[in-house]
Amino acid sequence: MNVRALRWLPSLTLILQAAFSAEGTVSFNEQIRPILSDNCFSCHGTDATHRKKRRLDTPEGAYAARNEIRAIVPGDPDDSDLWLRITSTDEDEMMPPKDSNKPPLTKAQRDLIKRWIEEGAVYQKHWAFEPIARPANPPPPATATRGAGPETIDAFVLAKLAPRQLALSPEAPREILFRRLTLDLTGLPPTPAELDAFLADTAPDAYEKAVDRLLASPRYGEHFARYWLDAVRYADTHGLHFDNIRSIWPYRDWVVAAFNRNLPFNQFTIEQLAGDLLPNPTESQLIATGYLRSNLTTHEGGSITEELIARNTADRVNTTAAAWLGLTASCASCHDHKFDPLTQKEYYQLGAFFRGLEDRGWDGNVALPGPRILLGSPAQLAQLDRVAAELAAREEALADLTTKAAARVPMPKSSEPAMYEVVWADDGDAPTPEDFQTSPLERGWREGEAVPLVSGHRALRIEGPIQRDVFFGSGDVALKMHQALRAFVHVHLDPAKRPKALSIEFLLTERWSPRRTVTKKSRRLVWGDAAAVGPAGDDTVAVGSLPLAGNYFRLEADGALAGLKLDDAYTGIRISLSDGAAWCDNIGTVVESVAEKDPLLSQVAWRTSVRQDSGFDHVALPLEILDLLQAEKSTLSPAEQKRIQSWYRNYVFGPLRGALENKLHAARALIAEQVWIEKQLAGSLVARERAQPRESHVLLRGQYDQLGEPVQPDTPAFLPPLQRSASRATRLDLARWLVSAENPLVPRVVVNRFWQQLFGAGIVRTPEDFGTQGEPPGHRELLDWLARDFMDQGWNVKRLVRLLVTSRAYCQDSRCSPMLYEIDPANRLLGRASRFRLDAEIIRDQALVFGGLLVEQIGGAPVKPYQPDNVWEPVAFTGSNTRHYQRDTGAALYRRSLYTLWKRTAPPASLATFDAPSREAFCVVRQRSNTPLQALALMNDVQQFEAARTFAASVLARNEPEPARLAFAFRCVTARVPSPRERTLLADALNTQRARLAAHPAAAEKVLTNGDSPPPPHLPPGELAAWTLLVTLLFNLDEAINRN
Amino acid sequence: MNPAHSYLNHLTRRQFFAGAGLALGGVALNLLAPRLRAAGSQVGPVAPVYPPLPGFPNFAPKAKRIIYLHMNGGPSQLDTFDYKPALQAQFNQDLPSSVRQGQRITTMTSGQARFPVAPSLFKFAQHGKAGTWVSELLPWTAKLVDDITVVRTVHTNAINHDPACTFLMTGSEIPGKASLGSWISYGLGSESNDLPSFVVLTPKWSGKAPAQALFTRMWSCGFLPGRHSGVALRSQGDPVLFLENPAGVDRGMRRAMLDSLGEFNQLAFERYNDPETLTRIAQYEMAFRMQTSVPDLTDFAAESRATLDLYGPEVTQPGTFAASCLLARRLAERNVRCVQILHRGWDQHSNLPSDHRLQCQDVDHACYGLVTDLKQRGLLDDTLVVWAGEFGRTVYSQGTLTQVNYGRDHHPRCFSVWLAGGGVKRGIVYGETDDFSYNVVRDPVSLYDLNATLLHCLGIDHAKFTFKSQGLDQRLTGVEPARVVSEILA
Repeated sequence: MNVRALRWLPSLTLILQAAFSAEGTVSFNEQIRPILSDNCFSCHGTDATHRKKRRLDTPEGAYAARNEIRAIVPGDPDDSDLWLRITSTDEDEMMPPKDSNKPPLTKAQRDLIKRWIEEGAVYQKHWAFEPIARPANPPPPATATRGAGPETIDAFVLAKLAPRQLALSPEAPREILFRRLTLDLTGLPPTPAELDAFLADTAPDAYEKAVDRLLASPRYGEHFARYWLDAVRYADTHGLHFDNIRSIWPYRDWVVAAFNRNLPFNQFTIEQLAGDLLPNPTESQLIATGYLRSNLTTHEGGSITEELIARNTADRVNTTAAAWLGLTASCASCHDHKFDPLTQKEYYQLGAFFRGLEDRGWDGNVALPGPRILLGSPAQLAQLDRVAAELAAREEALADLTTKAAARVPMPKSSEPAMYEVVWADDGDAPTPEDFQTSPLERGWREGEAVPLVSGHRALRIEGPIQRDVFFGSGDVALKMHQALRAFVHVHLDPAKRPKALSIEFLLTERWSPRRTVTKKSRRLVWGDAAAVGPAGDDTVAVGSLPLAGNYFRLEADGALAGLKLDDAYTGIRISLSDGAAWCDNIGTVVESVAEKDPLLSQVAWRTSVRQDSGFDHVALPLEILDLLQAEKSTLSPAEQKRIQSWYRNYVFGPLRGALENKLHAARALIAEQVWIEKQLAGSLVARERAQPRESHVLLRGQYDQLGEPVQPDTPAFLPPLQRSASRATRLDLARWLVSAENPLVPRVVVNRFWQQLFGAGIVRTPEDFGTQGEPPGHRELLDWLARDFMDQGWNVKRLVRLLVTSRAYCQDSRCSPMLYEIDPANRLLGRASRFRLDAEIIRDQALVFGGLLVEQIGGAPVKPYQPDNVWEPVAFTGSNTRHYQRDTGAALYRRSLYTLWKRTAPPASLATFDAPSREAFCVVRQRSNTPLQALALMNDVQQFEAARTFAASVLARNEPEPARLAFAFRCVTARVPSPRERTLLADALNTQRARLAAHPAAAEKVLTNGDSPPPPHLPPGELAAWTLLVTLLFNLDEAINRN
Repeated sequence: MNPAHSYLNHLTRRQFFAGAGLALGGVALNLLAPRLRAAGSQVGPVAPVYPPLPGFPNFAPKAKRIIYLHMNGGPSQLDTFDYKPALQAQFNQDLPSSVRQGQRITTMTSGQARFPVAPSLFKFAQHGKAGTWVSELLPWTAKLVDDITVVRTVHTNAINHDPACTFLMTGSEIPGKASLGSWISYGLGSESNDLPSFVVLTPKWSGKAPAQALFTRMWSCGFLPGRHSGVALRSQGDPVLFLENPAGVDRGMRRAMLDSLGEFNQLAFERYNDPETLTRIAQYEMAFRMQTSVPDLTDFAAESRATLDLYGPEVTQPGTFAASCLLARRLAERNVRCVQILHRGWDQHSNLPSDHRLQCQDVDHACYGLVTDLKQRGLLDDTLVVWAGEFGRTVYSQGTLTQVNYGRDHHPRCFSVWLAGGGVKRGIVYGETDDFSYNVVRDPVSLYDLNATLLHCLGIDHAKFTFKSQGLDQRLTGVEPARVVSEILA
């Protein structure tokens, strides 16, 4: 073989020429345009006229005389300036010019151009922008047959192979083919039982039956969804700055379900781009619009709203253009596209479709920045509606009262010191989402004639010895020691059970969050016999004697005396009673502050404190109010501003809390209930259209603040015209235009990507670029035939997939002779099946399958499986809620990789190692690298190693001799039976490890400790450890991680 | 693309044996066998797995490798290198609007009623033969001034961290492009078969303010082949992800497994003729070597007391900036092409004087140690060291200005960067800003220019250094003309 290979070397060039230059005339699209596009169009392309330069991308431009010079005179290279320029060595004349940094054309390129001019310099329009023929171009006569339909694919493939004296490779061995098919359709390997059943099925349609069974498997949707999620850069965090958690996984599940229920691709498109604009959209159609919310967002302080909106819009345009149109649109964000006929204005016309979206640019660092949909049972959603309605009614009833009360409170000037009183508890503890369901009565508040009162109609009964915490507020505002602070409690000691002592402490916290994160207490201020409430010490301060029993007295606890320092945050107080009993009522604080820094006095300070706190998860504000607080003020409508103002006045403004607290108690309970329900429900980001779309302009040089001419939503002129449903075109119009029968790009682009998924590379190998800079298709007629068929058959994805995988071309062997490899190393002619490394998710998931660990649960919130320690911390923002990776336990460790939590700034380490993208930008084709880090991950990642161990245990449990066990394990992983040589190698490998472990019994015990799942107790550790290492070997086989 | 060209390109990318040229499958296998055996016994030189691109370097390079010290968050040029004594007289006066000229500022300060000038609290002095002004925050760096070039007029396009860091490291504010280190690895290949060509370190920091996030995109390969992504060496857990064998698995077991794996994979190659299989065999061997080369790299036991002392007292604490600098020198010795240390915590919108003091203490002594150590070992001649934040900070105070305290907002229009070693002049200061360190007065250096200059030192013509992706010839230095700052080149 080696000798043969060497002998072939000298003739390599000849073979290549024979293989690729077989046709007679030079093709503009396939041979000339790539040369001109690469070397000339950046100056002499679509935007040349602006630069007062000649256009070479159109025949009119090229043939025209400028100053009596013609770039191209068809048939006559020597009269063609272009020919003279590309062959010149004079620096003033030569093209490409020196300052372009482009090397001169090669001789081969020059020869092609010369031949093309000699043959008449015929231009062709760029193939991908031309309509797809209807009916489809007839296929070449077939010379291979396999059923009805897929043989057409083979005919097209053979038509390219035959002139090179090549043919399709034989069919792959059945077991290899079956493994390939199962991996390709489900992302998981076949089980031995499935493999046996397939091999035993001798029916002529055994293969087709297997295809249908796999297409019907729910695993199919999970697998196919993943490619789409790459394209639309789905992830579970916002992506920029804090990179906090985002809740949009219901959209991910929607994509899975869409593939499983075989939603036609045109409908799939419409629902994602405009589900909210469909008549009476279903919950599912709204979730689908998560596509429009899966872009990166930020809440970085200092950001400029218009800039964020502009960036988000550009991201949406670029992603939509890549995923559906195969266009590199972003080139046109600063200037007209240099290669494709997309103008800068058209770029912003596309952007205008998305400038009606309601989201406000800032993500608030929260999981569900609006607009959102909450997903719950009908009962939960009804409860939420009821609470909102009740709250609205109460607010309406209170409006008069609060407005009048507010009017009576003098507003301190912003920079002046102010002193005011806040009552936090009157007829009950302040309700919080954690405990609003506990009634005041359950919490010790009593009402009735026997109850002595200060205000309202209830007082708190406490009987010692007891410590009673009273928390302030309901999580809507951070409480701090500003200038000075005194807590007050009205205390009525029971004459019959007079206590010896009463004390008050402040509950301090590092993060403001009621009832949860109290991290320390202040010093204790004691009235009465200090010894009675605990041992004396530095933390106890005697402040006086107890008041008389039988009447209310106001006790005040001074913050400074209790040791509070400026800016200490507090959440409430603790009242301790040594023994006896007392009534407490009207509990609150006297605050001395400066208005501009005190959220209880200044709406601006309140807004700032909420926006700057990253722990919004803990804040007891309804989502609607949070949204309004996160938004830039300038983007709020008058009604929204009023809403915020009245909310602040009703529920936050400190001085009013004293006067109205007992009347607001019921409203606060409703708010707490609303927040509580909202926290129970899953939610997903969705799209919604603003009442008034934002204005759209051309942005000069792409700068958000350099406005050019205003634009309206529209589609590029070089593509078929848009059908408008209204004078201002809508996203729904855009979506329908994309999947209209006339659109030449979308079906080609989509079909190409499914082809790429199943054949390892696209018919167009630049799936993100179908423009003139993209690679021309290897099989243009085949691509067009498939695209036409796809549309004619109703954009039926499963049908398309079935068509592709039942072709002979798909079923070929991937083994190839060195000669074929030399002729066609990249397999452009499709004379064999491509062999390629499995994607990251498949590599992890198949290990889980082999190990019997995979938990086949579809959908749900993302999970956190094994990752090495300290993978988030080195990069994460200190305040981020994705700073510390705390992995899950139990079933969550063994879900499909699709469900792994995707943090954009630090994607799952084991997946990223195998080229999973960060999901920061669209990705329509993954790299397939081959690195030492992958070797380390496969050998050492606990997820892999644990699966090897559990797999080994299951093999050991088989009641058969060792050679059979070895063969079984090998076959599980590779789908084929080992050769005699491989059997020997397997046995040797096992015995080597066995011997080594026998010498190191302690090591064997340790091997079994890797991973959470317990090893079966009855297996000898040395034996299980040796087998674990053997299985690790199998997991690392080149054959195991390749689609063969 | 011309099919023949494409085929050659294909071979180049997978080229495995530097000397074998168009080695084809069968030949390769024959050559491989003895190498496999050699690798097992850890002897014998191994031919470079990743040679440079054909034609690279484009001309004789001054530097063979680069160590990039990134001060993440944006150090204040006004408190370190850009001395503005006249500001003392303007304490708390408004920044003249003629200086700001309506330039955009972040929304963190755009709402401020005033922009009061905050002169630096720190004393400056001239140092070295060069007489370079350096503030008292950096006493050790001050000793280096005759070995470095300070550029005071670097400017950037971005005004907030995330886009600014992305721009600094990838030449674009939009995520998805290739990082500087990946470009260098792609162009120049790797001279180490035991270590990755691009290594990233993310040490601890001392500033009290919340630190900005880092992003893997700052060292990821973007559109370039995946192996050019930076490998983050971690200070906790495995230094390289998944480096350590699972509990109970020793090196002998691993070797035995790899021997078996090599044989199986050779059979797989015979079966499929897929050159990737050969690459995979080599990568497993490199992984195995990394399992010893990385622990060897991170083990400072052989470093002399004198060397350790160069870097300051924190050098023996893993995860400090000082320890990272010593690691960087050890990586340079091992011919790792690109080392990037990303030190966080420089974002002082408030309490700048106290926090910058802490931040400077983190890095100052260690920077001195790194440059001096490289110099002593003769490595500085062909190692380029860069110290840079993603932007500078404003002359006006953010928040309350007092005699002893101030904060500063982001300032993209000028900031100070220093360079040392391979290819750059020693002991000069380049560029001048106005009296408020607000605008560049003379010799502006855009980040594109800076990157073009770094590439130049490495023997790369930035204008010709392209990679085709998404229909474009992508370039680290963007589409507008960028300039090699020849004035600072030695």
